[in-house]
Amino acid sequence: MKEISVAFLLNGNKTSVTSLPNRTLLDVLRTDLGFTGAKDACGGEGECGACTVILNGKPVNSCMIFIGQVEGTQITTIEGLLEKGEYHRLQKAFVETGAVQCGFCTPGAILTAKALLDENPHPTDQEIREGLSGNLCRCTGYNKMIDAIHLAELGGLDD
Amino acid sequence: MQEFNYYRPVTITELKENLSQPGTRILAGGTDIVPKMRQGKFSASILVDTSGVQAMRFIEDQGNEIVLGALTTHQEAADSALLKNINPALVMAVESIGCQQTRCRGTLGGNIANASPAADTIPPLLIFDATLLLQSLSGDRRIPLEKFLLGPGETDLQEGEFIHSISFKPMFGLWGSAFIKVGKRSGMAVSIVNIAVAVELNDKGKISDIRIALGSVAPTVIRCRKIEQSLIGKEPKPALMKEIQDACQEEISPITDIRSTEEYRDHAAAVIIHRALETAVDQAKGKTR
Repeated sequence: MKEISVAFLLNGNKTSVTSLPNRTLLDVLRTDLGFTGAKDACGGEGECGACTVILNGKPVNSCMIFIGQVEGTQITTIEGLLEKGEYHRLQKAFVETGAVQCGFCTPGAILTAKALLDENPHPTDQEIREGLSGNLCRCTGYNKMIDAIHLAELGGLDD
Repeated sequence: MQEFNYYRPVTITELKENLSQPGTRILAGGTDIVPKMRQGKFSASILVDTSGVQAMRFIEDQGNEIVLGALTTHQEAADSALLKNINPALVMAVESIGCQQTRCRGTLGGNIANASPAADTIPPLLIFDATLLLQSLSGDRRIPLEKFLLGPGETDLQEGEFIHSISFKPMFGLWGSAFIKVGKRSGMAVSIVNIAVAVELNDKGKISDIRIALGSVAPTVIRCRKIEQSLIGKEPKPALMKEIQDACQEEISPITDIRSTEEYRDHAAAVIIHRALETAVDQAKGKTR
């Protein structure tokens, strides 16, 4: 098995890695690059959404993407939402509404929500439910996440 | 994870050359193959990743034909205003697949090449008599989708070949289409039974053309031609619906597997034929010439 070199933009920074091709984007983010916001919860089945990152504007499961497939793409992880030490309004809203308990699904849920709001700035409850359907939460539940997303989209936070 | 050598062509010429080596398998979005490789259910000594070939990612109206690049993602198909108009059943089908994350990676070509009897994109393509353009270093060929599918996971794809695009002719006049699937839950579930129906009514309100495709009730997704034939020229009434349900039992051969039983599939297929036809007929009646 030959190693491959892959170059992409990670949270706006040019990044290149050399890796064996049978590793996933999730493996490389967590192990090689130290971005541990993306989580593995379902064991790489694409069921849980805890490993969600934004790739070229779309939410994707990083456990189902071989590292070679991200060549030339733009990737945003939860770490990339921090701007000048300030949390993103979605992150603040998740805290504000109590949409975070154990926090394991939170990075994936917030990134899915960000991709949703980027395309649809004022989604309905149904659109949010559809959008979040690939992100499983096993403690907080989804209602508080929906509250958080509405809080963020309506700008109801003191920035 | 299994070992393999990896190629990432960016042009169709490079793709053809990469695939001409022995022992290659094709990777598209990866939503099926990556988990399968992790579980040891899929292996390849050389994996050729098509996901960088942008020239196979398009949705085009060529006048008498709609052409879909094999690398079009489910989400791109779901968001297409053209497809909403031309093939609403296909849009309903892609919207029902997995979740955002898998729809944004999974491709139409990948779903077809997988040849699952439960594939959701196949019924809405079969009702439009879709054909595939297959390419390889030794040339191009066209094949009807129905002939391409040979069995569960089995297709007519030859070594070195790949699916370039899918094309079908739009319907005109008073027509409607619908897609319905039955699964354990609405998100991420593989279909227990799925169906696509397209129906065209003449100006007297009678059926002038009908196409029915059922998934997960036979080794491949199937067109139900006997039922179609028996319905031409008839008026879509509730009594006719009952007839369809009975005829359906003779045309399908479902099995019991991990997702459901033969008996349940027999029952569910009849129910969703009824519902899909009603939706398609309502859609057709809502159109004016």
